[in-house]
Amino acid sequence: MRLLAIQLLVVLTGCVGVLSAAPLFAQTKGDPEMGATIAARVCVACHAEDGTSPMPNTPRLARQHATYLVKQMKDYRAGRRTNEVMGNFIGGLTDEEIPHVAAYYAALQVIPGVVTDPSLLELGRRVYDDGNPGSGIPACSGCHGDEGEGTRRFPRLAGQDVGYTLEQMRRYAAGERTNDRGLMQTVADRMSEAETLAVAQYIASLIVLDTEEE
Amino acid sequence: MIIRLVCLGALVLAAGSASASPPAQPRAPGIESPGYVWNAPNEDQMIALAHRADPSNGEEVYAVCRGCHQADGSGRGDAIYPQLAGQHASVLIKQMIDVRAGRRDNPKMHPFVADWVVSSEEVADIAAYLSQLPIPPTNLKGEGTDLTRGQALYEKDCAICHGAQGEGDAAEFYPRVAHQHYSYLDHESKLIRDGGRRNANPEMVKAIKGYSDADIAAVSDYMSRLSTESPPE
Ligand code: HEC
Ligand code: HEC
Ligand code: HEC
Ligand code: HEC
Repeated sequence: MRLLAIQLLVVLTGCVGVLSAAPLFAQTKGDPEMGATIAARVCVACHAEDGTSPMPNTPRLARQHATYLVKQMKDYRAGRRTNEVMGNFIGGLTDEEIPHVAAYYAALQVIPGVVTDPSLLELGRRVYDDGNPGSGIPACSGCHGDEGEGTRRFPRLAGQDVGYTLEQMRRYAAGERTNDRGLMQTVADRMSEAETLAVAQYIASLIVLDTEEE
Repeated sequence: MIIRLVCLGALVLAAGSASASPPAQPRAPGIESPGYVWNAPNEDQMIALAHRADPSNGEEVYAVCRGCHQADGSGRGDAIYPQLAGQHASVLIKQMIDVRAGRRDNPKMHPFVADWVVSSEEVADIAAYLSQLPIPPTNLKGEGTDLTRGQALYEKDCAICHGAQGEGDAAEFYPRVAHQHYSYLDHESKLIRDGGRRNANPEMVKAIKGYSDADIAAVSDYMSRLSTESPPE
């Protein structure tokens, strides 16, 4: 019940945000410096100043595509992607602030990811590059890029935190994360546990220093 | 008043987001059903065919297909993923639309081509992009042991529709078969013979009805070796 009340509050704050920001809607390009101020105030405890992952199952945000970050924040705010923790923090951001924070994280330096089980990398690479025709898993590289660099349409995966990747794959397969037009739900649902564990390690091992933002 | 409306929208969205994995491929009547008409007019296909296609948008939308059909549209012979590069746009459109509608069974591919991923117009954009890609230089061929018979069968029963060089016919929705992967040609020919490809052309089913598996292997090997210099217009 208390949870419901909090969620309602978040939704309501979201509404007010939409309305108050409406006249400024034309401003879509984010300013990384303004974003830095907001991030330091609200996000730093969990996403660190350098955009790495100091807490378990928390995503690295450094060098993620700004378009993807904006979409995720708006999805949390609107309830299209649900997570108690993030929903509450994003609920307080306005339409004007979201592109600034996104621009800040998108511009951060890349810090290589952490592989926790190198013995899985070979299987992980095969899943990532070839998929599995038997069970209908497309190659991850098809959408996320050969090196996990991502695009305007698909998130960067290179260097992502292993625990976070595994948690997202679990949520997709269980139908708990549904803001993906069904694409990742289908992919995750077709994967064996061994394939999922391995591909998460391989993703953590990928290093892409530079990506083009449109 | 406006405030109430906006907030209501947000609440409905939040409520509607409770889990549901993507719907399975639907099933529409096909060749097994009485009164089946091959390539019957339908709205989705008419929209796609009438659309003034934009190949550069097609290239971008094609991203969701690359994980199986490869970035250059060459497919994978070992995985029975067909080569799409250089296929006629009309054929590509019909096949995508048939999978969406459930006239051609392909549950593995359906979630990636469904109408909530790709619009009818984007189907046409993808087809325009793929049809102008060069036919990839290498493909999977058969064993090469029965090519004379393969050629004889092809010229007798198949060339009338698929063309002397396997070039197909864009206006008639007849697929290009030249230089397609042997594994895929063999697989589809058997499916069409046995009634498993439910969007098949009944005239073609008649043509291939009496074929043994060995006949199909021979003719598929022959088709996989046909090569046309230039991609279709
Ligand atoms: C209390 C910890 C915490 C705080 C504070 C926090 N986050 Fe998060 N963030 C998380 C966790 C945990 C997740 C993963 C949630 C999930 O599984 O959906 C996440 C996910 C995200 C994502 C999705 C990333 C992706 O790859 O999909 C974005 C974007 C994000 N946070 C941005 C922010 C911003 C911007 C702020 C500050 C306004 C912020 N977060 C504050 C913990 C936090
Ligand atoms: C058909 C395209 C496609 C393929 C193939 C694909 N993905 Fe994705 N993936 C997406 C999309 C789209 C999203 C983001 C959806 C959204 O906007 O929330 C995504 C998101 C993800 C995320 C969440 C990223 C984050 O920061 O929260 C992970 C993890 C992921 N994919 C892993 C994989 C793996 C592993 C594979 C291969 C086994 C794979 N994907 C194959 C389209 C694809
Ligand atoms: C999960 C893997 C997978 C994905 C992703 C995928 N396909 Fe396919 N596709 C297949 C398979 C397998 C076949 C052959 C099915 C059969 O055996 O009949 C096929 C067949 C086709 C055909 C029929 C070709 C012909 O000659 O008749 C077309 C056209 C096609 N795919 C287009 C696409 C497009 C466009 C996309 C993206 C929007 C896509 N596919 C995504 C696996 C996939
Ligand atoms: C009456 C014309 C006709 C004849 C004769 C014919 N075909 Fe076809 N064939 C078609 C049509 C039309 C299709 C596409 C059906 C559809 O819309 O799905 C097709 C599809 C195919 C396909 C699948 C191609 C693809 O890209 O999916 C193969 C393989 C094939 N034919 C082989 C043969 C062989 C071998 C013969 C001779 C034994 C033959 N066909 C005779 C009309 C014909």
